[in-house]
Amino acid sequence: MNSKFSLRDLSLLFALLAIAAFFTFAVPGYGFVTPRNLTQLVVEVSITATLAVGMLLVILPGHIDLSAGSGVGLLGGLATVLVGGTGWLTKALTDFHGWIAVSFGANVAAYFPPPPWPDPVAMLVCLVVAMVFWGLMGMLVVRERIQAFIVTLGGMLIFKGLFWRVIESHTIPVVGPTLGKSWPLALGGQSFDVPQDWLHRLTTEYLDATTGLLLAAVISLLMLLGAVRGWARRRKHNIAGDDGELTFVKWLIVSQLLFLFVLVANQYQGVPMPAVICGVVAFAVHTLTRHTRFGRYLYAIGGNEEAALISGIAVKKIVVRAFVLMGIIVAITGFMQTAYAGYTTTDVGNLMELDAVAACVIGGVSLKGGRGTVLGVFFGALIMATLAKGMSLLGTEPEYKYMTRGAVLILAVWMDSRLSERKA
Amino acid sequence: MNPVLSARNLTKRFSGVVALKDVSFDLHEGEIHALCGENGAGKSTLIKLLSGLHAHGSYEGALLVGEKMARFRGIADAERAGLAVIYQELALVEEMTVAENIFLGREPRRFGLVDWERMHREAQALLRKFQIELSPDAPVSRLGVGEKQLVEIVKAIGKSSRILILDEPTAALAEHETQILLNILRDLRGRGIACIYISHRLDEVFAIADRITVLRDGETVFTAMATQTNKSELIRHMVGREITELFPRALKMNATAEHQALYVENLSVADPQTGVLRLSNITFSIAPGEVLGIGGLMGAGRTELLMHLYGAWGTRVGGRVAIGRRLLPDSPPEMLRSGLALVSEDRRRQGLVLEQNVGFNLSLSSLARLSCCGLIQSAREHSLNDAFFRRLGVRATGLEATAGKLSGGNQQKIVLGKALMTEPKVILLDEPTRGIDVGAKAEIYELINNLTASGKAVVLVSSELPELIGMSDRILMLHEGRIAGEFERGATQEQLLAAAMGGEIEDATPAPPSQPAVQAMPRMRREPYIVSPQFFLPIL
Repeated sequence: MNSKFSLRDLSLLFALLAIAAFFTFAVPGYGFVTPRNLTQLVVEVSITATLAVGMLLVILPGHIDLSAGSGVGLLGGLATVLVGGTGWLTKALTDFHGWIAVSFGANVAAYFPPPPWPDPVAMLVCLVVAMVFWGLMGMLVVRERIQAFIVTLGGMLIFKGLFWRVIESHTIPVVGPTLGKSWPLALGGQSFDVPQDWLHRLTTEYLDATTGLLLAAVISLLMLLGAVRGWARRRKHNIAGDDGELTFVKWLIVSQLLFLFVLVANQYQGVPMPAVICGVVAFAVHTLTRHTRFGRYLYAIGGNEEAALISGIAVKKIVVRAFVLMGIIVAITGFMQTAYAGYTTTDVGNLMELDAVAACVIGGVSLKGGRGTVLGVFFGALIMATLAKGMSLLGTEPEYKYMTRGAVLILAVWMDSRLSERKA
Repeated sequence: MNPVLSARNLTKRFSGVVALKDVSFDLHEGEIHALCGENGAGKSTLIKLLSGLHAHGSYEGALLVGEKMARFRGIADAERAGLAVIYQELALVEEMTVAENIFLGREPRRFGLVDWERMHREAQALLRKFQIELSPDAPVSRLGVGEKQLVEIVKAIGKSSRILILDEPTAALAEHETQILLNILRDLRGRGIACIYISHRLDEVFAIADRITVLRDGETVFTAMATQTNKSELIRHMVGREITELFPRALKMNATAEHQALYVENLSVADPQTGVLRLSNITFSIAPGEVLGIGGLMGAGRTELLMHLYGAWGTRVGGRVAIGRRLLPDSPPEMLRSGLALVSEDRRRQGLVLEQNVGFNLSLSSLARLSCCGLIQSAREHSLNDAFFRRLGVRATGLEATAGKLSGGNQQKIVLGKALMTEPKVILLDEPTRGIDVGAKAEIYELINNLTASGKAVVLVSSELPELIGMSDRILMLHEGRIAGEFERGATQEQLLAAAMGGEIEDATPAPPSQPAVQAMPRMRREPYIVSPQFFLPIL
């Protein structure tokens, strides 16, 4: 399971470069390659890529999640409402708090405070809600054997309705009473201020220049370590793969790209938070798919479900787990997308599930399951987000934006099938 | 009298393997000609050839319908020539009515629209003609298997077929349904329709056939009028295969072992979909170091037994299964943990993840042992994979080779390796040598001997009687879900086959009534296994 650059990977890279080059020269005054715009692009790519990487977990065992976009809206909206202490839900929870106080006394009621809640608490609650919803959908898929397409299509509509109910079809800004407040924290004689407005800061926070470079250095060092270990293992056991030189060159290119990214971001305000979050999620899913039992089982189930079952894999449990993880990632994406918009409103998250599926497919993930990598999905997300951003800068009408993205998706899949035909 | 169908010197090869060798066969008008033979004798190939499924040109020899040379390019050509095949797996559209099925593809039309009235009328007439009490408007999904079979026959007659080919038509029928079917066939015979009848049930064959032909290893070895032969003669011709291959089975070492590796008592299992009892009162035990052979004809329940023991199929109606002293849980992951491993019959469908590489497949069942906090320890995994790769003598470029591109024998070794890597105490092998070359077969026999020498118990299911006799310490023959005989070493092929066909050679008692439906079904414990659900997003 070594990464080998195939014709397909290269064509993906070329496509991305071609798209980027086109926008570089097409957007007047080189507006596409300004640090500010690139930073925004990074945020948008990060959001799309995070969701797409989650989608990979569901597609690998041969399922799909069409409810992701609605879920993004719902969970972002829920977090906003709980943090802001507004609307119908807040009133209901306040009533609940009052009822507890009357029935069980104020001591018990103190554990069920009415919103506004501190950001971390609200976000944690949203994560739990997401896990429950997605876990339920997973159960319907594996236990009742309803196709994931149908279950999540239903979920998409239900979540959309729930979302609108939660925000009462209004537009609610992300900032709540916690804006600008912080908790004092004493640690080793020094005192820090831990900001409270996490949700808001998800997209307004940037790593400062030094921290960004330091982080890049640490990551690049760890990658070198991993590359060397892998190479040593391959040599020891005589496994086919990249030789020492190629391993080093690959590492060099990747870490240079990483530093370039940090330096460009530092030109504006630094590395944006969503990039860090996306990096963490992508790394986690990469590790999960490549180095854990769970990941192996996902590939096995997608490749041949019956063989997986006979091989003693608890297929149902694994698929439900994949759905629960998807729920977590949807919630995280929801926080980021809502914070990036600055408010929650009825169309947050619209069609995001299709962008995620498209990113997967462009990145070489097989919708039948069993094939696909995080790196590929990341490239796919990069292509989709770059297209969207570039066209916005060009002032393309939404009509044409949709048509272009659809055409690119079909083109990518068509090229994929042609390329893999030739290989076979 | 001229034959309505005759085959002259048919030879059919599948990539070098001869499936039919110089087969000649003829069928007269108004004759029922039974075709007998063991599994793999070439019956199915012959039918596929006659029905155009193997197109003209893919075989040698000539096929004549009446006096004319037949060059079928497909099933449609054969149907036009008046041949109709009724397969074991019925080809009716469940959602449609009896009449719609009878006229499927040739609906009577009026002004371009289906003439429902005429369809109904004609279907009614056809059903009446054969005294079948079915309403033309009944939905097929509500019919029993026997009734469906009758609809199939009426459909074929409706197409004015003159030659019917029935492949094991009674395999799924109850006794009285069989009688109705046989009566209808006799009636058809009276109307001049010729029929090729394939069945494993010799009683039935003698009850209905005018002539009997025995196929063995792709050759016609015997043809006689039914009145001039008997069961024991037929069986003798069917098993004429020689034990030519080398079976290096060492004699069982642990004959008196007190503790049993696997213990099965009064096991009865129903099909989870239909609720029909597929295995009843199976009792056996197997000691460490022993090879228990399980034989039987197609559909006798061999695969079902193994799949149920492994926890992957069936609703248990009664009985118990234990490994050592432990009662067994009932899901494959827990089975593997208890020390039971299965090598399934269909390695491409149930054994391998074809698009992944050899290493992925080898370690798939053992990852729990190879990982720490969920993380796979790749160095350990690799060295274990490598060890098995060498030990099994897999011929591939390495662990990185794609599993789907290997030959059958090498694929089988990988599936075996996957099972062995779990360090089982009992290994269930379902047709481990099917479709692989002689060299790989010998290696697998050698492997079985090594396994038993190290104290593992092996359950070997095989369709090949010589293999069963050569490799087993004891043999159970199944017939219609029951144990029809238990044999020690030294049993002959005739004895085994007689048991598989449901009776002693000399004994003329009819076969036990087949497969009583279970009336009061307990709640299904496990739903049937369905191949991965596909969603309808083909372009995305």
